This record gives sequence, C-alpha cells and structure tokens, in this order.
Amino acid sequence: MVSPLLILAAGLGAAFLLGLLRQTSERAAFYVTIAALGFMGFIALSWTVGLALGDALPVMITTAGTAPPFAINLFMGGMEAALISVVTLTGLLSAFYMRKDLLRLGRRVMAVLLVLIMALSGLIMTRDLFNLFVFIELIVIASAGLILLSRDTRALGAGFKYLVVSQVISILLLVGVIFTYHANGSLNIDDIPARPMVFTGASLAIFLVLIALVLELKPFPANGWALDIYESAHPGFSAIFSAASGTAAAFAAFKLFDVAGPAWLPLATGIGIVTFVGANLLALAQSHDRRLLGYSSVGQIGLVLMVIGQADILGATLPYVAGGILISHAVAKSGLFWLSGLVKGRELSDWAALRDNPVLIVAFATFIAMLTGLPPFPAFYAKWALVHALMANGAFALTAAFLIAALIEAAVLFRWFGMAIKRESRRAVVVNLTYEAVVLLAMGTSFVLSWIWGAASGQENLITLVPLLFALLFLPLDIFPAKAKNLLAIAGLVVWFALSFHGLDPIRLVFLIIMVLGGALLLLASFHAEGRRMGFYTPAMLMFAGMALLITSETSFQFFAAWEFLTVGSYFLILRGHDSEPHALSYIVFSLGGAFALLAGFALASGGKFTFFVSELSEIAPQVAPYVFVLLAIGFLTKTAVMGLHIWLPGAHAEAETDVSPMVSGILLKAGLFGLFILLLEMGHQTLYGIDLTVVLVWLGALSAFVGAVLAAFQEDAKRLLAYSSISQMGYAVFGLALMNHLGWLLALMFAINHFVYKSMLFLAVGGVKERTHTKLMYKMGGLITLMPYTFVSVLVGIIAMSGVPPLSGFGGRWIFYNAIMSTDLRLPMILVFMSGPVGFLYLFRLIHSIFLGQPKDELRMVKEAPFWIVAPQMLFVAFLIAFAALPGMILRRVDGYIGQIFGDQPLTWSGRIVDSQFGTWNPVAIWGVIAVVFITILLLLIWMNHNAQRVKQFNIVFSAERPFKPQTTHFAWNFFAPYRKAMGFLEAPIATGFWTGVSNALHGTAEFTRKFYTGNGQTYAVQLLLFVVAVYLIVLGSMGGAS
Amino acid sequence: MILIQIAMLLGFALILLGLYGALTNRDIIRMIVSFTIADTGVNVVLVSVGYLTGREAPILDTIPVADAAARITDPVPQALVLTAIVIGLGVTALMLAYAYRLFRARGSLDISDYTELKW
Repeated sequence: MVSPLLILAAGLGAAFLLGLLRQTSERAAFYVTIAALGFMGFIALSWTVGLALGDALPVMITTAGTAPPFAINLFMGGMEAALISVVTLTGLLSAFYMRKDLLRLGRRVMAVLLVLIMALSGLIMTRDLFNLFVFIELIVIASAGLILLSRDTRALGAGFKYLVVSQVISILLLVGVIFTYHANGSLNIDDIPARPMVFTGASLAIFLVLIALVLELKPFPANGWALDIYESAHPGFSAIFSAASGTAAAFAAFKLFDVAGPAWLPLATGIGIVTFVGANLLALAQSHDRRLLGYSSVGQIGLVLMVIGQADILGATLPYVAGGILISHAVAKSGLFWLSGLVKGRELSDWAALRDNPVLIVAFATFIAMLTGLPPFPAFYAKWALVHALMANGAFALTAAFLIAALIEAAVLFRWFGMAIKRESRRAVVVNLTYEAVVLLAMGTSFVLSWIWGAASGQENLITLVPLLFALLFLPLDIFPAKAKNLLAIAGLVVWFALSFHGLDPIRLVFLIIMVLGGALLLLASFHAEGRRMGFYTPAMLMFAGMALLITSETSFQFFAAWEFLTVGSYFLILRGHDSEPHALSYIVFSLGGAFALLAGFALASGGKFTFFVSELSEIAPQVAPYVFVLLAIGFLTKTAVMGLHIWLPGAHAEAETDVSPMVSGILLKAGLFGLFILLLEMGHQTLYGIDLTVVLVWLGALSAFVGAVLAAFQEDAKRLLAYSSISQMGYAVFGLALMNHLGWLLALMFAINHFVYKSMLFLAVGGVKERTHTKLMYKMGGLITLMPYTFVSVLVGIIAMSGVPPLSGFGGRWIFYNAIMSTDLRLPMILVFMSGPVGFLYLFRLIHSIFLGQPKDELRMVKEAPFWIVAPQMLFVAFLIAFAALPGMILRRVDGYIGQIFGDQPLTWSGRIVDSQFGTWNPVAIWGVIAVVFITILLLLIWMNHNAQRVKQFNIVFSAERPFKPQTTHFAWNFFAPYRKAMGFLEAPIATGFWTGVSNALHGTAEFTRKFYTGNGQTYAVQLLLFVVAVYLIVLGSMGGAS
Repeated sequence: MILIQIAMLLGFALILLGLYGALTNRDIIRMIVSFTIADTGVNVVLVSVGYLTGREAPILDTIPVADAAARITDPVPQALVLTAIVIGLGVTALMLAYAYRLFRARGSLDISDYTELKW
C-alpha cells in the first residue's frame, strides 16, 4: 500500500511543479494536473479496496516523527478511504470536464484545483483540530479562486459573498478551537472528551467548533451564499463544490460530533432535518436548474447531518446509512451538474434538449432515481435502514418530517424530469464528447455502487435480480425495432411465469397470472407500434418486474423494493402519453407518498429488524398493530385510488398511450388490491380508538364504488370515463375484501379477474377508436358500429360483462356480490354499493350509445376498423369472457377452497357446474341456455317484424332554425345525463381535488414567500449566519434548562 | 492574571468591533478592513489564551532546554497565531483581489449592488 500522505504530497507537489512550468505550456500543465489527480484517486481507491477486502489495516500516520498531540496526525480508515476516493475522482472527472476553461486560464488555476482537492482530502484525514481549520481555510481560498472559472460575471459577486461568510465562520471556528485547546490541553480530536451540554467554557468552545463545521454544510436558512455559487459557478466546479466539498465537510462534522458525545447529537438532528425540509420546500419555487440543484445539495447534506445525529440509535450501521446517502448524493449531484453543461438554457424546461440524445435522458433518469432513493441505488438501502432505526426508537415525528420532505424532493425532481420529456426545447443540446463521457462514467459508477450497497445490505442485492436486469437489458436493445423487442418482452414474461408459479397459493397464483401472463397478452397490442419505440420497453418491463417480484416476495424488504420498481416503471410509462406531464407527476407523487406510508408501516411492524417476513405481520404486538394496519392500508389504498386519494388516476390512465392504459388500469391497480389481500390476510380485524378499521375500509370501498360511478357517468372523454369506472370497480373490490368473510373475498378476487379482463378490453377498444378518430370525446363520435364492427363487439361484450347482466362473467361477480352483501350487517354501505350498480349501467350505456350508435359524423365517415394488433387481444378477451362465464369453476373453485381454509367455512357448494349458496343457486350453463332462448326469440320476432320497416337515410331530417353557435352543446350526446347531473351533481364537487390543490398551493406559496429571505446581499447573508448561530445557541441553552 | 483578562477582553472587543464594521459598512474596502480588525482580535485572543504570567517567549536559543518547561509560555497558541496570521493575510489578499475585479466589472464597490443572484 502506498502511504496516504502521498495523496497530500502529490496534490501539493504537482501544484508547485506547475509553477515551474513555462507560462505557455498549458497543455503540459493540464496533463500534470490530470496525472496528479489520477495518482491521488488511485491511492484512495487502492486503500478503499484494500481495507474493504481486509488486505490492509487502517493506519494512523504521524508527522514530524512525533506522536500526537505534539504533532499533527492523520488517519486512514475505511470511511476516509471511500470518501477521499469520492473527492479525488470527482476532482479528476471535473478536471477533464473543465479542460477548455482550465487551458484558457492557464496553470495557476490548475494549481488552485489541485490545492482544493488536496485540502479536501486532508480535511477528511486529519485528526488535528487546528489542522482542520487550516484545511478549511485552504478550501475557502481555493474555492473562491475556482469560482472565477465561470464566464458568468455574477459569479464574482457570489465569490465575494462566500468570502465574507467564510470570514465569519473562521472567526467562530478559531475561537472555538483555541478554547477547546485551553480546556483539554490538546489539539488532537481524539483527546476531546465527550462533553455534556452544560453552560461551561469548554462546552461553549465545543459548541463553537461544532456550529462552525455545521455552517460549512450550508444549513438552512443560513445558506444564501452557497446557493448563489451553485447558480453562477462553472458546472464543473459546482460538481466539486456539491459532491466533493459537501462530502468532506460532512465528514469533518461527523468527526467532531463523534467525539463531542451523545449530548450534542440533537443539535445535528435538529439542524439537519430543518435543512432537509426547508431546502426541499424552497426548491419547489425554483425554475433555474443549477439553483435548484443547489437547493437539493443543501437538502441532501442536511439529511446526512440528520443521520449523523442518529449515531446513538444507528450504531455500527451509521457509515452504511450516512455513506449511502452521501455517495448517492455525490454521484448523482455531480452527474446532474455535469449534465447541466450540456444544456444551453437555464430554465428547467430547457432540459428538453437532452431528448436529442436518449443516452443522456437515461443518465438524467438514473441520477434522479438515485437522489430520490429509489431502488436499486445506495440511498434506497440507506432510507430503508434509517426509517427502520427511527421507527424502532419511536422517532415518529422525525420520520414523518423526513418522509414528507423526501416526497417534496421527489416531486421537484420528477416535475423537472417531466418537463425534460414533454416540453419543447428551444435550443439544441451541446455536443461535447468529453462532457458526455464524464456523465456516462458517473452513471456507470451509480450502478457499481448499487451493487456494493446491495451486497453489504444483508438483504437481497436488488441489482442482481433477473427481472430487473431483464428490464435494463432493453436499454442497449433500444436500437432494435419495436416488434423484435416486443417479442422478446413477451417471451420474457412467459418464461418468468413458468419459472416462478410453482408453490404459490391460489390467491397469489391468480394475481401472478393477471400480472405476468396478462401483461404478455396486453403486449400483443404493442405489436401495433412502428419504428423503434425508444424508451417504452425498459419502463414497461420494470413495471412488470416489480409486479412479478411483488407476488413472490417473502420479506417486507423484497415487497417494498418490488413496490418501488413497479411504481417507477409505470411512472415512466405513463409519462409517455401525449398530454400526460401533469398527470404523471401527480401519479408519482401520490404513489411515492403511498410507498412511504408502506415503508413507515413495515418499519413500525418490524420493530427495527431489517429482515421481516410479510407473514410475520400477523404476530406483531397489539399496541402497534392498528397503526401498522393504518399505514399499510394508506399505502395500498393510494394504489387502488380510493376516494380522496384518487385524483391522480383519471388523468394518468386517460392520457396514457393506447396500449399503456390497459396495462396501468387492468393490471397495475391489482398491485394495490394484492397488498390489501395480504394485509387483511395477515392482520384481519384491527381496532383503533374503538373503531373497527375494516369497517372504515368497507365505507371507503362503498363510497369509492358509488362516487366513482357517478363521476364516470358525467365524463365526456371515453378514456376518463373508463378511468373513473376503475375507481368504482376497485371500490367494489375493497368493499368485498373489507367485509372479511368468505364471499366478500371471493367477490374481490372475482372483481380482480373481471376488472382486468373487461377494463383491458375496453381501454384497448376505446384506444383503437381514438387511433382512428383522433379524439377521446364521445360526442364527437357516433355511428361507428358499421365502421368498426370488431371494436363494437368487444365494447358490447365488455359492458355486458361489466354491468353484471347475465350471461357473462360479470353476472357471476354480481351473484357472489349479492350473496356477500346479504351476509353482512353493514346496511348503509351495502345500499351504497348496491346503488352503484345501476349508476354503472348509466356510464356503460354511453360507451355503446355515443360511440357506436346514432349518426356518423361527416369527418369520420371513412374511418377504418382499429388496427389488427389492437383488436386481436380484445378478441382473445371476448373468448375468455364467454368461456369464463360458462365455466367459472375452472378458477374460482380452487380459490374458493383456499379461502374456505382461511375463514374455516364453505358457504358455496359446487356440484358439477352448479354453485349453491344460502340464498340461491347459480347455474352458468342454464343461464346461457335461458339467455340464448330469449335472445333468439326476440331476434326472430324482430326479423319477422322487419318486413315493413322503412330505411331512413341519415339526412332525412330537417333543421328548421339557424345554425347553433356551439354545435356540440346541442349534440344530444353532450352532457348526456343532464337530468341526473341536476340530481346528483353535488357529488361531482371536486372536494378531494380541491383539498390536494390547496395543499400544493400552500406549499408553493410558502416556498415563494420564504425564499425572498435570500436577498442576495452578502451582508444580509452574514447577519443571517450570525443570527442563526445565536438562535441555535439559545435553543441549546433552552433544551439544557429543560433537561436539568 | 489581570493582563490576560485585559488582553482577552480587548481581543473580543476587536472581534465584535470588526464584525460590526463588516456588517454595517456597505463599502467593500471598508468591509475588508473591518475583517482584518476582527482577525487581529482573534489573534489577540489566541495569544492571550496561551499566555502564562511571568513566563518568557518560547525561544529555546536563549533558554536552556532543560528548564524550558518551567520558564516559557505555552508555545502552541503562538504557533497557531503565526499560521492564523498567514491565512488571514491570504484571505485578505484574495478579498482585495475580488474587490478589484468587482470594481472593474461593475464600477461599484457597494456590496448592495451585487444582489442580482438571489431567491
């Protein structure tokens, strides 16, 4: 192993060497710089690897041949080596990135860069308090020098503000250092004894040192100066400032908090969480990309500080958790800053330019996923461990603040990503191979780190999961035609099903069939797509991977990871729709919010254990069980779009692409239902404050069923109608599940199957109509029955099945449903659910009536049948529906037996194809017979009566009055149910939408108002800094008073 | 003893005075001067912390090494002060360089003229 001191020596030596070079040999100077940075990075990496593999031992380096405290000593351990690797490699890549500007400004600026990286490495290694101060000052001077790299003249002002603030910080630090020395007689960090927070000189001294180091982390709100630097500096330098400086400063703070003792940890926790929440909230109001990244950097480092404050409860996992967040932040943030150099405009929407190069979009998505802590990136594992530790120690408020702020951060970042995907760019992307190479290296690193964190997690290593790798495989395959990829995708799904269906219980099997085989079936419709269809298959397969893994998951970790996979995959998929930017955003925000509720629920349930089997949910302590139930139920109900949490669904499902709508509606909604199945299966009845929570679920289900149906009836947009209908249908299923009896569960399962079939079919049918008519508004259609006969058949069969009219399978559902509600005591919700049936018929009728019957429109006279590949799966569904109606036993019987085992009863008796219950008999074959006889009789009657019918041509009517001003308002299919609207329109009042809009506006308003605090004046920033210190000190004093 | 307290009080007074000056004067040059006053205050505090009454400066040329421990003041703060002075000089020089460039760029030395980066 090379001595770690050479890291410092190489940096300093090369900086001096540059001074010896001739003024004109910039190129040679650049190569010296690169060589030195590369050498420093090599030493750090070799130590990291050596220490990780156990080939090397941590080493204490003494200087001047004397032991501490008489000379400075440095320490190289695992954490130090890893973080110095981050620092030096960021420096190296940024040096490549800034090549042009470094050459322009010559060897002196290269020397400054080397000194900066050297000082950051020194800051990490040193164990001497005064040496810490010296390195910090070196960093300040070098940073102020490098800020001048920017061609933006505003950077001058930013650099000066930085110097002003740094002066104040260094005064605080120096006074703190000297009094700490006075109290302990040593400048060695390890000689500082753990001090209680009391009002003594020594405590005040350690407070000053701590607060000065915290101020280096740019805590909210004393951080205006840092934001100005982020906004105006060269992106290459901002990457160093955010990733490398942030990392080193966070580690310096960690070292001091580590020795100061547990009494000071609340200081780190408090400032950290305030910073994380404040920075993310204010980021909401940002439209400047680099300033937004600055806010995000500040927030992430605040989060690390908060984690440092949890040292007492995290114990030995602290480096894993803090490191996971810190390294994710470093890689993603430097990657994003480097990306920003490829975009010419500075508005968030200017990032649409990245679409010129799909690889950059993938990098953008990777960095955002990494920052928001999505699997399989390190911050995901860190988030998991952190929330578990916090919940196990009863830090509920802190967990809530953390998760809410993390959600806001995700909203900010995904809104930005949505803009990049959907907006039009005004200027083309910068073509610069160096920039791109640096960005791609960062992206590659993020996957390597994912593997390392996964391997060290003690859980499944997510990056090695076959379904995930299969989804990622489509990234390089994206250059091939869509049809070939589609074939591969279908084959992959079928093979995965064949591999994983063994040994599943019937309920899981049904869900696996719907999700994986159903997905393969729906992918048939994707054969319709022409060209390459870039960016479709990775998200789609990611979503299916998530669902497949969800069904087979055993531990809560697997379950949660799978849940996040399917959420992210479906988000990217939904975002592909033409007008889906705001809807995809509200989808991801609600979904992640629900996912965080799941995370909190699992963490609470496990009591801090990292490996917790989902089946253990039935064994958790009764005092926490109801809360676990509530948290998990919120998570799952968000996915099934229960009333109140439903506002994301209509837009997300209606604006998605033709073949995506059935996937996210017919299949994805079942994930929430599956979760509820598992939840109720394991936890059953739970009571909170004397209220049976399953009764609450019954009510929520009934309300969703009814209001969803009413809202569907009032839609003009056919896809929105179907989307609202999904809310209603999921309401039925939730209702059935929450009844907590045999028939209710059978009903829910029946709805899961039926809803998949007919909603997929109807979405495909309506999508096919939209492909041909280019509208989703029903009153603009009409008379398509002869033009699109196959689509008509599938809609007809679909709505017969869905409305529960005999003979199709919907009737079976209804039959079980009536039996189920007859056997419950909850009369009022029962009536509500009962009423949703007829309302459902109202909206279903519109699909047939307004689209296929009536007068054909002039412009739609030449419309052709929907494309073959969109019709084909529909016909398969039609065949299935008819078969399933005649032979329901083939699936239901096994499931019925299994549910019987759970509830210990058997209310249905199966004899041959006839099903008997307490209330009646259902004989599907007989029903088919009866229906056939009635149908044929009426048909014959009609044919017989047809002989004196007169054929009426379409224009055989006369408009007498003038041409109406707004033709659609006089169209009878517009506002079709006006009378009903008069009666039930109050249900349409957008209460939920209003509520969530209010929340969003309040957050934006707060952000807009609060950020005025950053006046831009350097003196104001310095005053804020001092006031911050005083305020924190007063709070510390106050908390001491409270403690004593 | 009283000497140390006076020195320390003086040091803190200089720090506060310097900070007050730096945060109330809008003129950038005046701010920089104020910071040097505050820096000097810090240096006085550093020295006063290490001073032991009646001891001599820690220069081993004049004092035999054998009884140095009994006769010299604490040398560490003095070494720190030297370093702090050097660093202070570097930062001051950099601030002055910034002031020069700010003036070249905008023709103003008023800190409140440089607020275009905000919010």
